[in-house]
Amino acid sequence: MIKRVEVQYRGIFQKTLGKYIGSDIVQIASRMGKVAFSNGRYSDAPERNGIPCKYFAFVSPDLSEEELEAECGSSLDIADVDVSVVVDDTMAKGVEPWGWHGIRPVNEKVGHKSCLLMVTRHDHEHLLKFTAKQPFPYRLATLEGDASLAGLWVFKDDLTRERCLGAVAAVDPAVISIEAVEEYLLDTTQDADRARAARDAYDTTLRRIKVVTPDQGIDWPHEIPVLPKWHEFEEGGVVVQGVKRGFELGPRGQNRNDGFKHGTSKTQRPVVRFDLCIKCTLCWLDCPDECFDPTDDGLYDINYEVCTGCHKCAEVCPVKECIVMVDEMQFEDDKSPWEQHKKDPAGYIQWAEDKKGPTRIRYRHVTGEGFETVEGVTVPAKS
Amino acid sequence: MTTVAQLASVWDRELLLTGCQAVSHAVKLADVDVIAAYPIRPYTEVMDQLSQMIADGELDAEYIIADSEHSQFEIVKHASSVGARAFGGSSGTGWMYGMEALVVTATDRLPPLFLVGNRALDDPGAFGVEHNDAMSIRDMGWLICWASTAQEALEHVLIGYRIAEDKRVRMPMALAMDGGFLTHAQHMVKVPTLEAVKQFLPPYDLGDRVLHPDNPISVAPQVNEDWVIELRRQNWEAARRARKVIKEAYQEFNGIFGSHGSQYDNPYFSEFMTEDAEAVLIGIGAVCMPTRTAVRRLREKGHKVGYVNLRWFRPFPTEELRACLGRVKGVGVIDRDFSHGSPDDGGILMNDVRACLYPLRDRPNVINIMGGLGGRDISIDECINMYERTLEVARGHVPAELVSWTGLRE
Repeated sequence: MIKRVEVQYRGIFQKTLGKYIGSDIVQIASRMGKVAFSNGRYSDAPERNGIPCKYFAFVSPDLSEEELEAECGSSLDIADVDVSVVVDDTMAKGVEPWGWHGIRPVNEKVGHKSCLLMVTRHDHEHLLKFTAKQPFPYRLATLEGDASLAGLWVFKDDLTRERCLGAVAAVDPAVISIEAVEEYLLDTTQDADRARAARDAYDTTLRRIKVVTPDQGIDWPHEIPVLPKWHEFEEGGVVVQGVKRGFELGPRGQNRNDGFKHGTSKTQRPVVRFDLCIKCTLCWLDCPDECFDPTDDGLYDINYEVCTGCHKCAEVCPVKECIVMVDEMQFEDDKSPWEQHKKDPAGYIQWAEDKKGPTRIRYRHVTGEGFETVEGVTVPAKS
Repeated sequence: MTTVAQLASVWDRELLLTGCQAVSHAVKLADVDVIAAYPIRPYTEVMDQLSQMIADGELDAEYIIADSEHSQFEIVKHASSVGARAFGGSSGTGWMYGMEALVVTATDRLPPLFLVGNRALDDPGAFGVEHNDAMSIRDMGWLICWASTAQEALEHVLIGYRIAEDKRVRMPMALAMDGGFLTHAQHMVKVPTLEAVKQFLPPYDLGDRVLHPDNPISVAPQVNEDWVIELRRQNWEAARRARKVIKEAYQEFNGIFGSHGSQYDNPYFSEFMTEDAEAVLIGIGAVCMPTRTAVRRLREKGHKVGYVNLRWFRPFPTEELRACLGRVKGVGVIDRDFSHGSPDDGGILMNDVRACLYPLRDRPNVINIMGGLGGRDISIDECINMYERTLEVARGHVPAELVSWTGLRE
């Protein structure tokens, strides 16, 4: 028997968190007399900022380590996961870790009656607005919390790690038991608060497990690509697809690589008040992913499919409240904001301010200090 | 199409040229667009000559002096990717210094041509010939060919571009020649007319893979394990297809130049007195001179010996060598290279030849002679001695050692 756990995390920002959860499961399972090992999906693009990535932990009560590794260690991805821990709920909108992978449902690998466990402040119903329907029942559990984003070399020690271990014990005690989690945390940290955090998460998660039936969720809107055979694509690793010879650059005529849209890397998206824009071009110029499209009226539309939510545009924009980063979970589609603005300028401003809400959240990834919240200002419409 | 008969002559003139100079004349005739240079003995002279040709208005090409071999080879690779016929070259450790660029030129499936003036790998610093520099890329998806005369060197620049640029192949071409013995030795060389060259060598056309603002493509993207096997298989297929293209190129070459002095019986190697031979030596490069002289002297005494001068090392002439060496009883392989710790601690060529012959039911006995390292002469007497030992194993004697060294002070 093999128990498979995957930890879906954001590249760089949650790398250490993902790895810690994987290695903790191995050590706890080992203490319980089981055989276990952990590995990461090495090729995750390779762990760039925000890219959806995975760590795995495998636990078996009866296989040898070599057999367990032979079964689980040699594949790029795994099917039929028992527990999928998602440490940032914005990945509910899909995961695209590398080129030609397609945007896949976050619950793609969750098997029959297995559990998708998400760290989130949203309820089950909101999460199911984004996750794909499955042909079989599975369980969805929520653990209340924010995405614990840090940096490559820093770890945000905010008890997310311990709480995830408690929640895993709640959704599948055959992986690790809560008693073993507590014992391990007490033993290794001598800190009763950490064991208590795991126990609290265990208790609350038990109350937040719901069965998702095949009619719940959405019909997945993204195509899952079929990789070509060796003789079906251009030699030399050349990508010729999509763009014809003699193509013309914008406005709105930019060509982008359909094989890697990259938009699932974001936890926040830029919301633009087009009425405040002074047409300085800086967002368009500095965007590292070229997601700004020049428009006929001199503004810059955003293609959210290719926006990685890097914050650069919001940083360089010289106009207060013109570009503001907003939680990605507030948006249910990638529609062109400029088209909404053209159709109904006043309605668009209201919509944008509603999305922005009263506070502004700024992540300080590199320091590992998490995010800071500041008060926002509602700037009146400029005619 | 112009037939051979319609050409007044395929040869323009005969000049006294070093091996490097012969290559520079061929590069000019191939109308190369981009040349990247960085000096190292002994290949450098080809770059001296080409810069002179450009300065004199004889050749219209971009001539870029790089800050190192790595940059030099990258420039050549990128030029090739934008549709320019490109030329580079190096020797010894300089060649090794650009290794990363050499590897990606092959995996990007681009067809520039490089001259490798073979040089011993430092340390100690040495200028003489060893083949390890060119052989270091043998597993990377390169075409590797040795010229053993200045005339062959000139002709193989043209043959090389034609094979490398063929859309069925598109692999980079390393034209190697023995440093000193060939790079610096002067011989009379026939230089073909531009018309004859144009008839033989079509313009370089990369098709849809050309990198150009009007043809936006991605070259060399990051891929994962879900693509690499397929890409390697494509390279494998191209290396296999190259054998057919090589055959066609030599047939065409013989058709144009053959009745006028340059004829290749077999693209891959030339045979000397092998038809009825009992024992054959096989080697690469300038060592063909003393070996063939030894064959003549031994034949006068009634010994049935022959010599195979190997030209193409990648693709390796598997079937052709089986047909040729499968007829004889003893084979001696001369390696001007080393592969410490390899099977039998022998040379690179020997282990390839032996592996090639292994599936034969009546395979010959193979011995290995390491010699000429660092550019030391291999004398006619040494070659006679090699033949004597190869004849012994041909007659069934078990050699005292499978691998022996010649020219060693001991």
